[in-house]
Order: sequence, then structure tokens, then C-alpha cells
Amino acid sequence: MSNKVAIISSNGGLFDAYKVFNIATAAAASDKEVAIFFTFEGLNLIHKRGMHGLPMPAGKEFMAEGFAKANIPAIPQLVEMAQELGVKFIACQMTMDVMNLTKEDFVDNIDVGGAVTFLEFAKDAAPTLTF
Amino acid sequence: MAVKADVMLDAKGLACPMPIVKTKKAMNNLEEGQILEVQATDKGSKADIAAWSESVGHQYIGTTEDEDVLYHYIRKCSNDTLIENTHEHTIANEEIVSRAANGGYILDVREDAEYAFGHIKGAQSIPMGELESRMNELDKSQEIYVICRTGKRSDLAAQKLANNGFEKVYNVLPGMTGWNGDLTKSI
Repeated sequence: MSNKVAIISSNGGLFDAYKVFNIATAAAASDKEVAIFFTFEGLNLIHKRGMHGLPMPAGKEFMAEGFAKANIPAIPQLVEMAQELGVKFIACQMTMDVMNLTKEDFVDNIDVGGAVTFLEFAKDAAPTLTF
Repeated sequence: MAVKADVMLDAKGLACPMPIVKTKKAMNNLEEGQILEVQATDKGSKADIAAWSESVGHQYIGTTEDEDVLYHYIRKCSNDTLIENTHEHTIANEEIVSRAANGGYILDVREDAEYAFGHIKGAQSIPMGELESRMNELDKSQEIYVICRTGKRSDLAAQKLANNGFEKVYNVLPGMTGWNGDLTKSI
């Protein structure tokens, strides 16, 4: 059985962030080796400022109350938790170039790499998930 | 009856995946064989804690509920490989009930929490860790069938009893994991 979970994060909304980080932290807490490849809008999820204000999908703003009521942790808290549990963050170099971003725009301790960096990790991972 | 645990973790009010993350961290500080009690209000934690325990190799014992709070019990197993049984007298699960009916009794050396969530009717409970100090509660003239979950702790207990002058001690194999009969609960 594979002990690796590989995740591709390619969308930048609040819901996308919860899907990515909940699965990632749960997997890491279950002793899995986890890597997330952040590409395109997925980069928002680890952007120092961006991650504090991720948008709700249009028309779903009413759910903000539900999130607060259910005591759901904030995204920056989950980011920190994931890193603490050893989840590896890989930011996509190509997208960073396109968007004119540097490593300093993101939370600390991330790797920057290309598709091959992720594929190398994912080649024997099960499952590989895309959000 | 309250279930006895070695360490308590308060995860009340936390939403998924935090109860699991906290449980994982708390578990790092337990000794092998100790029981962790996790208090949670996340209803999904019941299935999650059981699945998590299975996935990382700990023993999920059970869950009770009281006024919307879930109490999960997990026993830490860091090295559950079977060691060679060394107590020479063993007995099969299937035989002990009829044997106990003719005198003799079943001694359950699992932790209190494990016993509470399901044991053989009439079995006496003395957790392995308390055996030394509670040996005087046992009758040397009777046959004693020592049982645990997998036959590992009961083997050590049987040896300990044999070394203390108990001559009619049997290690029950395979133990509660292979038990197909009725279970009594004390919760």
C-alpha cells in the first residue's frame, strides 16, 4: 500500500482551500507523506496575503455564518497545521513567472518546482487528488 | 460506569479535521498499551477516529455518548507484532466457557476500557498493569484461564502467575479478537 498522498491544487476559492487542506492534514495525521502542488489560482491558497481573504463562490456568501457557527478553523490556521504535520508545499514555477510572483510572496518553507517535481513525488502515490 | 483512560484529550467544539490532528499529537505522548480518551462534539469523529486508528495501527476500543459529547477510546499499539508464546499451558477460546462452568474462572487482563466495551460474561477483570498488586484476589486452587485481545498480554500474565505459585494457569488463544460468543458490556 502506498504511503503517499499527492494533491494538485489549481483553484483559488475558499471552498477549494478547505478541500485541499482538510484532506492534506487528515492524511498527514494518519502518517501519510503528503505533497501539494499549487498551480494557477491554487497559488492563492499559500499566498501570504491572499490566503486571508479567499473568496466564497458567487451566491454562497450566506454560508459564511455556517462556517463560523461550526467553528471551522481559518485557512491560515490550516496552512500552519499542515506544515507542522510535515505536508510539503510545491509552488508551480511556471505560474509564478506568468503572475510575476516570487517565493517571498508565499508562506515560508515552500519548494518551488515544475510539473516534473510533482510527478516525481506522485509516481507512487495513491491516491492522487485534484482540486 | 465511567471508562478509565490514562490520558484525556478535549477536542470539544472542534471541526474536522482538528479532532484527528489533535488525537494524532496526543497519541505521540502515550506509552504503548495506554488508553487515550478523546472528547469530541464533531459527529463525524466517530467514524473518523475508528478509521484513523485502523489506518495507523492503533486499537479503536469504542465510543460512548453523553449529552452530545462523544467519548472515544483508543489504545496505543506501536509494536503489535506477535511474540513467541512462552507460557506452556494454553487453551482454545471455544473451551473456556464449559471449563469455567466446572470450576475455574476466566481472568481478563485487558485495560478497563477494553473490558467495559465487551467481555465474556463472568470474566474477572484485572488489567495487566495491576496484576502484581492484585494477585491476592485470585484463588490458587482454581483453574485460571487468562485472556486478552491477542494472547500477548495474557501470555505475560500467565507467566507472572506461574512464577508466583499459580499452577493451574492457562493462556487463552487466540484471545478476544477471535471471540465469536456473546459479549457483556459494562458501560
